[in-house]
Amino acid sequence: MTQTSTKPDAATGADAAAQPWSPRIVAFVCNWCTYAGADLAGTSRLQYAPNVRIIKLPCTGRIDPLFILKAFEQGADAVLVSGCHPGDCHYTAGNYHARRRWGLFRRLMEFTGIDAKRLFFSWVSAAEGQKFADLINAVTDEVRQAGPFDPTNPARKRPWT
Amino acid sequence: MDLAKLRQDAAALLADGRAGLVIGFRERAGACVPAFVTDADQADALVYDDTCIANLAAYLRKPEIRQRRPVALVARPHVMRSLILLKAEHQLQGDDVLVLAVGDDTYHGVLTLAEAERLLNETYADLATDAQVLAEIERLEQMSPEERARFWSEQFAKCTRCYACRAACPMCYCERCIVEKNVPQWISTAAAGHGNYAWNVIRAFHLAGRCIECGACEAACPQGIPLMLLNALLAREARDQFDARPGYDAEAEPVVGSWNKDDDEGFIR
Repeated sequence: MTQTSTKPDAATGADAAAQPWSPRIVAFVCNWCTYAGADLAGTSRLQYAPNVRIIKLPCTGRIDPLFILKAFEQGADAVLVSGCHPGDCHYTAGNYHARRRWGLFRRLMEFTGIDAKRLFFSWVSAAEGQKFADLINAVTDEVRQAGPFDPTNPARKRPWT
Repeated sequence: MDLAKLRQDAAALLADGRAGLVIGFRERAGACVPAFVTDADQADALVYDDTCIANLAAYLRKPEIRQRRPVALVARPHVMRSLILLKAEHQLQGDDVLVLAVGDDTYHGVLTLAEAERLLNETYADLATDAQVLAEIERLEQMSPEERARFWSEQFAKCTRCYACRAACPMCYCERCIVEKNVPQWISTAAAGHGNYAWNVIRAFHLAGRCIECGACEAACPQGIPLMLLNALLAREARDQFDARPGYDAEAEPVVGSWNKDDDEGFIR
């Protein structure tokens, strides 16, 4: 989450904080389907919102709920988790395991105050470059509507006071 | 409840060597505390009433307790479910424990784990979540996400990270807990802010589909954090979404760790 320009510019008075807010979305994707789908979107030269930071993992079954917590902790406005369609998992059943975990975890997130509109799940196959681009655009729009993630949310890391 | 019979059974188990240790409750300064009885003539100190809410199955992971197997345990229905679940998760062998089964003002006698499983399914098949806890969950669910965040922010701010909740729970048996893993450190161990949030949320999530709602963690919490709200919410979801009934079947697969082709995916795009 480093910003390219964090030093206040004395001459213009402009600093990073003065930039209009733009959603920061962390996407945890699997190596075999969604990452390949994102790659296809890129090689097909599809345009999509630049607000997503992709983190590639071997499989959605590898995505520990702690990853999602960590992303919110470090300042993400939303988290997207995406992998292979049911039946397509490279490791046979990783996505089925993940689906069950998310079904419970997203409830816990909502209940403890992380709005469901900041947590996105999807299946994107290696052939669905267009779906990936559309998904990122849709997610970015929705997060833009939802606004920045509340810096006082208990999940957020805050400086010592 | 037939306390005399319970004491008599405990003494007999120790006297004839069927148990190396009886874990029950005794009174100390007006409170109910765990008792570890190794001699038959100490069994008269055992007591039991509604205030004895510690889940004694939590002691079974300790090596000094395991040395004395078979261990007999004073267990109410929730604790029997813990034992069945520990067996389902391969943490217990069937003949490691005997159950001094108590419940609803009755004493059911000395049971093996298999007999306790039968008793549970016949007599205590519908141990419902505490109505007050359910009402509070519903109240919170009516709130906006911001209000809920504020509620939990206040609750988690109280946490001193003593980990009494973990120590009190029979299902928290990992030899090295995620919160103690520090390369990399996933959960800040400072007793404040995001570390408290991550700890309390992950503790609850690691019990998803495994919590039998005995209430021992919340009772152990010195700061009065309503942990059962998190546990009961996940228990409800595991039940509604995946038909979870932890602790009723010693052969059951874990809820998180198994899957079904037809699991709900309405939330996935």
